[in-house]
Amino acid sequence: MHKVKQTLHIAAKEWRLLLRNPHGLAVLFLMPAAFILVMSFALKNTLTAAVEIPTTGWVIEDSGPVAAQWVAEWTSRNGGTRLASRAQLQQALRTRQVLAGVIVQPDWMDGTGKPRADHVELWLSNRVQPAAASRLRAELSYSMLQVKMKIAAAAAGPFASILLGGSSGADLLPAAGAPKIRYLYEIESGRAMSAVQQSVPAWLIFGMFFVVIPIAGVLIQERNEGTLTRLATFGVAPGAVLAGKLLAFMALNWIQLFFMLLVGRWLVPLLGGDTLHLDLSAGWFLLMVLATSAAAVGLALLIAARTRTFDQAAALGGGVNVVLGALAGIMVPRTLMPPAMQTISEWSPMGWALDGMQAVFLGAPDAAQIVPKAALLLTFAIVCLLLSWRPIRYQERAD
Amino acid sequence: MTSALLAAANVSYRYPKQSAWALRGVDLTLARGQVLGLLGPNGSGKSTLINVLIGLRTPQDGAVRYLGDSPPVIAWVPQEHAFYPQLSCRENLRFFVSMLDVSAAEHATRVEQVERSCVLQEFSGKLARHCSGGVHRRLNIAIALLQQPDVLLLDEPTVGVDPQSRAFLLDQVRQLARRGAAVLYATHYMEEVSAVCNQILLLDHGKVLATGDLQMLLRGAEGTQPFDDLESLFMHHTRRSLRD
Repeated sequence: MHKVKQTLHIAAKEWRLLLRNPHGLAVLFLMPAAFILVMSFALKNTLTAAVEIPTTGWVIEDSGPVAAQWVAEWTSRNGGTRLASRAQLQQALRTRQVLAGVIVQPDWMDGTGKPRADHVELWLSNRVQPAAASRLRAELSYSMLQVKMKIAAAAAGPFASILLGGSSGADLLPAAGAPKIRYLYEIESGRAMSAVQQSVPAWLIFGMFFVVIPIAGVLIQERNEGTLTRLATFGVAPGAVLAGKLLAFMALNWIQLFFMLLVGRWLVPLLGGDTLHLDLSAGWFLLMVLATSAAAVGLALLIAARTRTFDQAAALGGGVNVVLGALAGIMVPRTLMPPAMQTISEWSPMGWALDGMQAVFLGAPDAAQIVPKAALLLTFAIVCLLLSWRPIRYQERAD
Repeated sequence: MTSALLAAANVSYRYPKQSAWALRGVDLTLARGQVLGLLGPNGSGKSTLINVLIGLRTPQDGAVRYLGDSPPVIAWVPQEHAFYPQLSCRENLRFFVSMLDVSAAEHATRVEQVERSCVLQEFSGKLARHCSGGVHRRLNIAIALLQQPDVLLLDEPTVGVDPQSRAFLLDQVRQLARRGAAVLYATHYMEEVSAVCNQILLLDHGKVLATGDLQMLLRGAEGTQPFDDLESLFMHHTRRSLRD
């Protein structure tokens, strides 16, 4: 009986402690709630039958009147923009003016006057949802089939409807090949997309932001044990403390980077996966790693400086990182998110990092893609450091 | 060896967002060779006064002045173990000495000196977290001694140590004073104050209740009974009510 009482008293004590730990409770309740919200929006379109056709740009290289007529009919029915060249289409995909592009190649019509699906190229933005891309492809195939049927009907004369009767169009006019599909990064980098090429930058960023755990461990111990105050008596300024930590943990981020690259380059292929390609643009890559690292360490210092105990910092830091990761498209690929969520995901530090890193890892990055993201990350880092400085400077604790 | 190094005049300090004053009109002087015992119940303002003297807090009224040709080197020994438990004793000393603006050769000399004076050689390679409470206290003082201070401020340095370590720490304080340092020794242990301090300052609710030569204070005011000991003097001034 005594043991049972002891157990009950211990359980009651645990509850009392739990109720006095609002941060722990917040993680238990608010984080799953935030996940439900984020994931519900992020995965909204993957589980619905109604998928919209992505905004499409058209490049017509076939000079025949049928191609022009086909595109005109398509755009009047489904919307879309006509573009002058492949280069213009590529730029429109990069700037997300369109999410997909259709190129109608020369000699689209064969010798018998039928459209050839293998003379149509489908270019897709890196952000287009797979379901939307499939719908576009199906609509294109169906539309080309209609063209063939119209031509066949015209050739058959006024009794065409009787001839076509109960037979399906596909039986009469088997598709000649299928549209070639290429993603923007494939067009820019000249190599096929692989899961490892997407995963390494995404999870590298996620790992870099988890630097909050070791930073909080040390900073909170220093603050609570008076070591920071002691450093002040040694003439060490708070700025030096922050800078020292920034330097140390940014170095740790570089080690993380090296490790993740090794995993992608050697471990994944060893286990049968694709190999990570490292023919990256070195300058842009270094800038993105530097900016991401600064933002990650800045956020970690801010969380560590604004919490009182390691438990609080670990709970808050872990929770914030997981939610940011979900929002940014690290946990759920952005291609699965509806357009509104994709836009929101662009406005988080991990989102900026992911945009820039993916541009580096997946294609041919330029200043317009990298510099704004790096600038946002560095600004974020500076704001975090400024907000961290004050709690480190003033340790307001009465004796 | 009695030249004044530091003087606080009419110092008052209030924490942000607090209505009560933590210090009210405190005056004190620290001179070479002097060991001033700072006494007071919990929350009386002892640590706040130390923080003001170090320069970590700026008083709203009054001022702390450094006397002499150049500002004195002030070192602080906090009540907590303000070092890195994950580092060895020597790594801690090397880290803190590296914060000082002295040559690399001087770094090594100072580390060796304080290791010897605080009897830390045996533990130099051991992680601080694996050391005993006595070693922790000695390391805490050793770090302050790296600064070769003119003024040493000790905030309850003997909490939780065995009698041997306490005797060692008190010897260190006496030696420092003999070498010409000024020591401010904040503690709750009356016997320690009686053993090493020649002056006391009794603080409560941020105000100085009594200050001066210990023996004179024990004799009491004219026409009154002398106090049996320092504890009687302390209880007489601070009353018996509990503070926290």
